[in-house]
Amino acid sequence: MKDNVGMERNTDISRRSILRTSALVGAGIGAAQLLGTSSAVALGGTQNASLDKAIKDIVKGRTIKVGFTPPVLSENFTQIESAAWRKMDEFQKRFGVKWVWERQAPVGDFNAVQGTLGIVQSWISRRFDAIAVCTGANFATVQDLYKTANSKGLKVFQFNQPAELYPENELETVSNIGYDNRWQSGYLAGTYLAKTLGGKGKILQLWGPSGSDWTRGRRIGFDKALKENPGIKVVGEADGGYVRDKGFTAAQDLLTKYPDVNAIYGENEEMALGASQAIDAAGLKHWNGKTGIVTIGADGLISGFKKIAEGKLTATVDIGGIDQGQNLIETIFATVALGQTVTQIINNPTQVVDKTNYRWHQAYAQWALDTPRKYGKK
Amino acid sequence: MTPNSAVDNSSNSLRNRVLQDPSFGIVSLLITVIIAMTILEPSFATSGNVTNIINAMMTVSFLAIGMTVVLIAGGLDLSVGSTMAVTAGVAGKFIAYGMPMGVAFMWSLAIGVGIGLINGLLITKLGIPDFIATLAMLGIGQGVILFWTQGVPILGYMNDAYYYIGGLEKIVGPISVPMIVVVVISVVMAIVLKRTKFGLELYAVGSSPISARNAGVNTHAIKISAYAISGLFAAVAGIHIAGRTTTIPPLIGKGYEISAIAAAVIGGASLLGGKGRIIGALIGALTLTLTRNIINLIGIESSWQAIVTGSVLIAAVLANRASAGFSRKRLRRMNT
Repeated sequence: MKDNVGMERNTDISRRSILRTSALVGAGIGAAQLLGTSSAVALGGTQNASLDKAIKDIVKGRTIKVGFTPPVLSENFTQIESAAWRKMDEFQKRFGVKWVWERQAPVGDFNAVQGTLGIVQSWISRRFDAIAVCTGANFATVQDLYKTANSKGLKVFQFNQPAELYPENELETVSNIGYDNRWQSGYLAGTYLAKTLGGKGKILQLWGPSGSDWTRGRRIGFDKALKENPGIKVVGEADGGYVRDKGFTAAQDLLTKYPDVNAIYGENEEMALGASQAIDAAGLKHWNGKTGIVTIGADGLISGFKKIAEGKLTATVDIGGIDQGQNLIETIFATVALGQTVTQIINNPTQVVDKTNYRWHQAYAQWALDTPRKYGKK
Repeated sequence: MTPNSAVDNSSNSLRNRVLQDPSFGIVSLLITVIIAMTILEPSFATSGNVTNIINAMMTVSFLAIGMTVVLIAGGLDLSVGSTMAVTAGVAGKFIAYGMPMGVAFMWSLAIGVGIGLINGLLITKLGIPDFIATLAMLGIGQGVILFWTQGVPILGYMNDAYYYIGGLEKIVGPISVPMIVVVVISVVMAIVLKRTKFGLELYAVGSSPISARNAGVNTHAIKISAYAISGLFAAVAGIHIAGRTTTIPPLIGKGYEISAIAAAVIGGASLLGGKGRIIGALIGALTLTLTRNIINLIGIESSWQAIVTGSVLIAAVLANRASAGFSRKRLRRMNT
């Protein structure tokens, strides 16, 4: 299998269809209104009675059965799911489509991949219309499973999955709704740190578990940023296991050895928040715009935005979770209900969020969480 | 007997006691590692790092003490991690709802004991093997916390006092509340195990349940009590870790059951029952925490970390076995 990871950044971005960039630049509200995967489902901005009626005539009385499986239940995936529910509610009201939603996550951590495979197999045998998967499972294994699903007429979508690390032509999915972990997360965090520190400084890194595709992708991007900023030196790194207490302990250990560091990068937000606590515990100062330790994570969680507001977390990369949830439903609707085709890779915009712009990201995430309807609840 | 021979005998006796101590092997190993690290890594023996290590070992210490009690009684508690998560959630949620902190903690402790009692009853009254009953409880606990929180971390419960309970604020110098709690619990439990009828019965049940029953020991009651104690200390760990992490992600207890078992076994507890000491549990917790600390300080690549941790576990158990073998040989020599 040919790996895709060595591709140059610019080439890669141009090759990928980042369909939503322009619409999303206008802020989070854009994501709820843009079209992207479907020209027929002219959402939001082009909403009008005759169009809605025409679509209504096609999908009238249709029930779409969707299975949604994140690798783990967490704040990040709850935000994505809530955003999906918002879009489902909107389509239900506008077009009369009904939804059956089932969410199942394997019990355990990101590595509990056998659970994911079992869940997907069960949905295949129960003939769901669409299956949305995010998993830490081996690429080849899941493609085989998706092939089985395809042969039975089910449509498989991936969300938040580092699909960019694998050859696009080997993907057995209808579409991958996510972002590029290399250039839209790791690289952004690295360049932000370099810029904030004026191109010079010592940093610590907290990574997810070895073997994680997210870690692999973000590391490629971060390394690229380091190469472009030779004044930034990584003096220590540790495995923070994607969880706060492990991130906290690892950062505490590293800070005793390197108390004079200028920044800490947490590959996800939980670990960055653990690092933030370690800074407090060590009696060190958070970044105040001039001095202190810069901390940056990645996810775009409500709890992270709160810490940015308090000055305990310098920044995070909002990986576009709300857009992913919304666009997942748009894509499912376009393909399952309207029979349209979509691109294999749909990358959503991401952004570094700090004190200057956290408010709209926070409001956008909260808007999703305040969804008027929750699906799949008994 | 000359005064000199009296001195010799007393120093011999002290030396014998040290050499025959079940933890002699692992302590020797730890001391060697600590000396090596002090020489090789300047940041290792600093007061800041020592404080970090002690604070970081608190959670596993609570769990390992409870696990040791269960192992002595011949059981095995795989549910401690999820009990810790559930009880942390109870403490955090109840405080966030406005309940006084002390009352929330009492609820948390009561639920911990309750889970332990259910484990004990399933094992003794329904005859479900310890491994299966507590494995089931591990799953149920994880399910409960995931369903309850829907995967979203519990926030908004931290107050000034809770920073002390989590060990993030110190009382005096480097001394924190969890350190004092661990010391108090350890002393109390060591006395209970060594000096009380319950302690003796616990060892008796773990060594040979049939003989214990024939001797009139209520083996079911002893085993249920052991699980209740384990649940209680899992709740103490839950209350503590909620303060340490300042938010409670639903998977907060994931993997802690393995750490607790590893710590207890490193400390000399036997998976076959009838053996174990509180000081051993603490030594085990220290060994695990020290290993992770050294890995982070040296900068061992993350894929090697699991290998190193596994190797340390084997080395620790072998060190214990070597010291036990040495003690036996020495006793035989003294007897002949």
